[in-house]
Amino acid sequence: MKRTSCAMLALAWVAFAGATCAQDVASIDPAAAKKAVELCSTCHGPYGISTSPDFPILAAQREGYLEAQIDAFRSHSRAEKDAHDIMWGIAGNLDPAIVKGIAQYYAAQPPAPGRVQDPAAALARGKEVYDKGVPARGIPACATCHGPDAKGQSIFPRLAGQHASYVVKQLNYIQSLVRAAPVMHGIVKDLSPEEIQAVAYYVQSK
Amino acid sequence: MIENSTTKGIGAIALMLLLGCFAGAAEAVPSFARQTGQECPACHVSWPELTPYGRYFKLTGYTIGKAAITSDGPQYLPMAIMAQASVTNTKNNKTTDPDTGDTTTVTQRNNSLVFSGGSLFLAGKVNDYLGGFVQWTYDNLATVTNGTLGGHSSVDNIDLRGAYKYSPVGAGEPEWVFGMTLNNNPTVQDPWNSSPAWGYPYTTPPLANTPAAATIIDGGLAQQVVGLGAYAWWQKTLYVEFSSYRTANVMGNLFRLGLPINTAGGVYAINNFNPYWRLAYSHEWGPNSVMVGTYGIVANVFPDNLNASGPTDKYQDVALDAQYQYISDEHTFTAQTTYIWEKQKYNASYAAVQDTGAGLGAGPTPDNATDTLRTFKIKGSYYFQRKYGGTVALFQTTGSADAGLYGTNPDGNALTPNSSGYIVELDYLPIQNVRLVLQYTGYTKFDGGRSNYDGTGRNAGDNNTLFANIWVAF
Repeated sequence: MKRTSCAMLALAWVAFAGATCAQDVASIDPAAAKKAVELCSTCHGPYGISTSPDFPILAAQREGYLEAQIDAFRSHSRAEKDAHDIMWGIAGNLDPAIVKGIAQYYAAQPPAPGRVQDPAAALARGKEVYDKGVPARGIPACATCHGPDAKGQSIFPRLAGQHASYVVKQLNYIQSLVRAAPVMHGIVKDLSPEEIQAVAYYVQSK
Repeated sequence: MIENSTTKGIGAIALMLLLGCFAGAAEAVPSFARQTGQECPACHVSWPELTPYGRYFKLTGYTIGKAAITSDGPQYLPMAIMAQASVTNTKNNKTTDPDTGDTTTVTQRNNSLVFSGGSLFLAGKVNDYLGGFVQWTYDNLATVTNGTLGGHSSVDNIDLRGAYKYSPVGAGEPEWVFGMTLNNNPTVQDPWNSSPAWGYPYTTPPLANTPAAATIIDGGLAQQVVGLGAYAWWQKTLYVEFSSYRTANVMGNLFRLGLPINTAGGVYAINNFNPYWRLAYSHEWGPNSVMVGTYGIVANVFPDNLNASGPTDKYQDVALDAQYQYISDEHTFTAQTTYIWEKQKYNASYAAVQDTGAGLGAGPTPDNATDTLRTFKIKGSYYFQRKYGGTVALFQTTGSADAGLYGTNPDGNALTPNSSGYIVELDYLPIQNVRLVLQYTGYTKFDGGRSNYDGTGRNAGDNNTLFANIWVAF
């Protein structure tokens, strides 16, 4: 029942948000691309592939998701510590046209390769939770919204190749309501720390 | 007297805490934070130590964020204020004359709460290519006439920059950053915290007995010279800079305003243009960053700053340095080290003594034609959540024995400038704008000796200090 509800909600969200797809880098607003190259790359790395796990990888991220997150920083509705300390200021100085261009720029970049850094057992558990959820506790599969390969769908973010520690940090923020994400909170609120870590390792490896 | 100074100190701290509270409530942080809209941790591990992003912000000319004034009018107040108050305990604050038996005090206001002083910053972005800061500092404990203490203000660090980022089509980050800096303190333009101007210790007791000798690049020329430099930073990996410094007697003495320029020995006067260089290789991986580099200066110094003509003494400083940083949300570990080697060629001072039997200027006058001075520093810091921190540091200065510069011991032998010791520090930042510091400095050698270094029976360890400090910036 819960899985069905989630899927319906996801479809409704997709319909509401409209389809988004990555576009050719050459067609992106040069001013936005320049901002991404000369400012965002400082922390998020060249082409959106950061080296520090404190900063998320943006390469190949869903355009709609990126735009929504930058808007959340601009409106201060996303307010975890890094958002408050760093992104409020950065995003606050961007105008909406640049925000859209930056989202398009990163959506068009090649994705970061998957990286395996964990025991096989954790990976296997992560894959199980990702693909099937935890039916016994009513936790739906991550793949329902984030796609079977964790590449994201519509505005649901790409998770494949993301730094595992960043995924863990964000899931913890969502679990504890530090980061406002009502749909995700309902889905992940009962995940155990071990399950969160396993899923994070798994999506990083994709 | 002590009661009076203590009362003033308490008042100053109360005012600082009040301002700190306002700072937290209003999110009013120093002007660069207002410019970028970001909080201190974006650029600083613990101020003034810079993160990789902070280094990028500095080397791109302080131009990230909004200009202070745009076509839409004023955007923010491009000013900031910093202040410190402290208590210092010197382990043995009495010294006894071996001939007369008279006892004198080594430092004033020992164990008293004092307001050290504060700084006013004018800092911000001018446009997408220009930015900078000017610091004006009030020293509440400056030595004035007859050894008494009083307030004095003067210009502090200045760093004005222009920078241009070059990104070829298809690049993922700037291929090159080219920049220029106009500043008044060699190494103040440096983005790494292993070189002197922004190196550890970040704050020291305002009233303490400290070693006499230091290399000229280690603060010796600060606020007395003005330098124009050009730099290039390639792929955020290789950094090359060349600057040229001269006496800051230009532009109405702006870059040395308030310094004792008319006092013999009050400032350095250097001849013409004196080269400074910086070369650094850095690399970032995961949450880690490392830098290895070299910097140095050749300074031609007039022995008499009131008569800036004729032959000069030459100071050649060559330094190696390195930095490592591990920065994550919870845990931060950083380490810096530098080794400075200085060759002092007293082409003017020594020659004058040989010719006339008397030195030049305020002295002291060297007994040797050439001397060397070597300084080594290393420190490691750990911070938890950028809030609770601890630092351990070692320092050592060694050099040639020279009776003219450093005096003689009771046996008549020339003394060395040798000093060494350690610093242990604890920090607590209740909010990002306020730092509480508890710092202990211990000396194992002081001005040439471990025991009875000055002939009065005073030992190096007698100068050990315990320093409790509150530091506010907003």
